Amino acid sequence: MDRYLSPPPTSSVAVCVWIPLFALRCEEARRPELASQPSALLAPDASRRVVWQVSPLARQAGVRPGMTVSQAIGLCPALRLCEPDPVHYEERFALLLAALARVSPVVEPAELGLAYVGMDGLEGIYGGPEGIIDAIKCGVRNEMSAECGMRSAEFDVRPSMPHAALNTPHSAFRTPHFRVGWGKGKFVAWVAATRAKPGGAFIVPPGEEGKFLAAQPVAVLPLDPDAHRRLRQLGLRTLGQLAALPEEAIVSQFGRAGRRWWRLAAGATAEPVVGRVLPEPISVSLTFFTPVADREMLVLALERLIERALRHPRRTGWRVQAVRARAELERAASWLAAATLKDPSADRDHIAAPLKTRLAQAPPAGAVERLVVEFTAFAPGTAELQLFARDAGAAARAGQRRALRSAVQEITLRLKRPMLHHVIEVQPWSRLPERRYALIDYEP
Amino acid sequence: MRNGPDRLRALNVPQRVQVEVDGRGIPAIVKRETGSATRVEAVGEMWRINDEWWRQPIVRRYVEVVLEGGGRLVLFEDQITGEWWMQKP
Repeated sequence: MDRYLSPPPTSSVAVCVWIPLFALRCEEARRPELASQPSALLAPDASRRVVWQVSPLARQAGVRPGMTVSQAIGLCPALRLCEPDPVHYEERFALLLAALARVSPVVEPAELGLAYVGMDGLEGIYGGPEGIIDAIKCGVRNEMSAECGMRSAEFDVRPSMPHAALNTPHSAFRTPHFRVGWGKGKFVAWVAATRAKPGGAFIVPPGEEGKFLAAQPVAVLPLDPDAHRRLRQLGLRTLGQLAALPEEAIVSQFGRAGRRWWRLAAGATAEPVVGRVLPEPISVSLTFFTPVADREMLVLALERLIERALRHPRRTGWRVQAVRARAELERAASWLAAATLKDPSADRDHIAAPLKTRLAQAPPAGAVERLVVEFTAFAPGTAELQLFARDAGAAARAGQRRALRSAVQEITLRLKRPMLHHVIEVQPWSRLPERRYALIDYEP
Repeated sequence: MRNGPDRLRALNVPQRVQVEVDGRGIPAIVKRETGSATRVEAVGEMWRINDEWWRQPIVRRYVEVVLEGGGRLVLFEDQITGEWWMQKP
């Protein structure tokens, strides 16, 4: 558990690994016919069914994320709509992260299909940036093809690479989707990844960050649509134009967010990659005898599972920060609800609340065959920690008592009398040493 | 009662030893029940305990000694009976 207390590893030089439309690519990997048709994924967490990810063919037909199903079908009658399978996507992304972690110990997931990899100190192992990028590509491709059966070309294989011929059973996966950006700090690496060609890498050499960023459009900044519109109205098209303005002028217009944008645009800040302190998730599950669709029954099951997970010894001393519930539904569909608690907790109701909300707002699309609750991130306990420690102490003592009882029975059986004793205080204040303490037979 | 007083066993009960003293009454040779006689190399602290005078008086003179070879021992002389004992302090 000490590793939870140690600071996470960081790296100033970053590689951004980006697979655009990751969820859609996962579906295409499972259903190759989708790659040649206009297709779209429905949003996994919207109460109103809207389009989430849109394939390039569908986009050409005018379909955009956020559109309702009727709007999308109206624009593209041939559109193939897919129910989302968030658990599948999460699993695939976890495999991607695992593959990256084999190349570098500093891996920071940003969002589905987007992760940063710390590069500091890797030159000695892999050589220059090209060598490291090759290692990343090979690692990802090998991992994904070997362990999950996902076709490797979902993560591009350059023709020049020796493994290029491996594991490309479907032509759909020969389309390269894997983009890599290299630079100092996460932002530069991200912008570089957006500039990389599909299947390629873009490296921003040290010292050239400012020059590189200056030519980039402001859209690469983490802007909300309103801010983007305002920047355009101000005539600011590129990061260079933004950075040419006084920082305080941007701050006066956009506040704290503006300061961050200006600093990113000017290359004045380089946010390091912060590796994850990998938690050991706690997972508990319940398989129903018959698929359950009743909401109250699911809530009850959810609460029981959270209680079970909270009792797990690994949880002792830690509050739960991230929890997710996933359900396996009839007809191989799935449902996923994840929540990050603002205030980490070990209270069942506190942990269950966001999951119940999700269950009410976006219930599973079918009856649930199996329900799983996972605690995926933890925070050290504060006041509660002491409570847990007592819980843990009590549990440990109970375990010790059981072991001792068994030992005493064994010793008594063999030696005819128990040879274990308690030391008890008799007259600890006595001036006579033999009066202070005594032994008493131990009877657990 | 399972944990009754009959099941108590005192800890640090004194053990009988034979002690030869010098002219000042200081232990010079110690002989334990299970060993040979050992010469006292040095003498450390000494203190007295005088207790329970209201029923059966206990009067002890404790002497901390270092035996030949380096062993440290705490002896006391029961000044009622004149017997020597060893005990952890």
